[in-house]
Amino acid sequence: MATFRLQGSKVLAVDMSGDAVKAKNGSMVAYDGQMAFKKMSGGGEGLRGMVTRRLTGEQMEVMEVKGQGTCYFADRASDITVLSLHGDKLWVEASNLLCADGGLRTGTSFTGLRGGASGNGLFTTTVEGTGQAAIMSHGPAVVLRVTPQYPLSVDPGAYVAHQGDLQQSFQSGVTFRTFIGEGGGEAFQIRFEGDGLVYVQPSERNTVGGDV
Amino acid sequence: MPFREINSKMVEATIVPGQKMFSQRGAMLAYRGDVTFTPNLTGGQGGVMAMIGRRAAGEAAPLMTVEGSGTVMFGHGGHHVQVIQLTGDTLYVEADRLLAFDGTLQQGTMFMGSQGGVMGMVRGQVTGQGLFTTTLKGHGAVAVMAHGGVIELPVVPGRPVHVDPQAYVAHHGDVRNKLSTALGWRDMVGRGSGEAFQLELSGSGAVYVQASEEKL
Repeated sequence: MATFRLQGSKVLAVDMSGDAVKAKNGSMVAYDGQMAFKKMSGGGEGLRGMVTRRLTGEQMEVMEVKGQGTCYFADRASDITVLSLHGDKLWVEASNLLCADGGLRTGTSFTGLRGGASGNGLFTTTVEGTGQAAIMSHGPAVVLRVTPQYPLSVDPGAYVAHQGDLQQSFQSGVTFRTFIGEGGGEAFQIRFEGDGLVYVQPSERNTVGGDV
Repeated sequence: MPFREINSKMVEATIVPGQKMFSQRGAMLAYRGDVTFTPNLTGGQGGVMAMIGRRAAGEAAPLMTVEGSGTVMFGHGGHHVQVIQLTGDTLYVEADRLLAFDGTLQQGTMFMGSQGGVMGMVRGQVTGQGLFTTTLKGHGAVAVMAHGGVIELPVVPGRPVHVDPQAYVAHHGDVRNKLSTALGWRDMVGRGSGEAFQLELSGSGAVYVQASEEKL
């Protein structure tokens, strides 16, 4: 299995010995040893996966990198977080996924209202199995633990990814005040309940909710 | 003259009388003491011939001479600044990435086409950089700019390093570089992985790679 490690906070180094990883198209910045780069049609998972991706708009431009040596990945100076999956599932926007172990399965899932409010699509990418993955954020991401006793509410624009056994619901704080222009700028949140981890970035994307 | 890193985006240089320092014009952020800044029409050192050479090569980044006694802080455009220490070897870097460097370093331009033949010529076109690059040689410090921080990868004989041309910042040492391609028929029909061209650096030295494919 490929080994993921961080070189600084913005460069991911992946040590490979004949195995493969999936990575965002064009994100390789350097490598030593022997590497082969191959574009994966529509993000893998065969023809069916490709068709769903086309339909859902959750287009992941993915390449397969296979080889011997160390490959370095980075994308527009984004901060990178390496995380491990042990048979559980990771939900992440395709644009925030930098690299995933070749043994992990990727798919698409419906996010409901959350997607619309966070400025992302209504669909999100899922990564499932056992292995490492690297996600990107604008500024270093913090990992927040959610337990049944401690639910968490997150600004949709700051949400990056989540993993584990979590239920998400959409919260709205829209009141009469919002409509007369007295809103606090925090009209919408995503609420996570259950057991898992949520990755939050110290920056906010422009969302519909941010203005009201 | 030493550079002191204040944070990842700012360096402070100590200027002592009788020693010069060159910096990119407009990169001074603040200074203490009695320091003068003079625009350098020759774009560095080496006299008129060197100036013409640089102009012709398109490697004429506007420089200024910094002299006097005091400390000067440099930074530019919010870019990450990396200090590289040279101990007699040569640094190859694009002129627009140079923030400031020791005046004792010998400045020159090198025709990249002479390395790697035709592919060397293609390199300039692919990377969006010119066919020429700036060289600095001697003992001293150089501050270079990059987008998103830099990692230093050692180049050792028998283990060449391949770098995305857009992420390449600079290299030093006894290193040969050539453009290598990973072009297959898939790339020709527009379904490439986005990694069609790489710079291959072999020999012994080090290459500096930035965490971004963005040009400065």
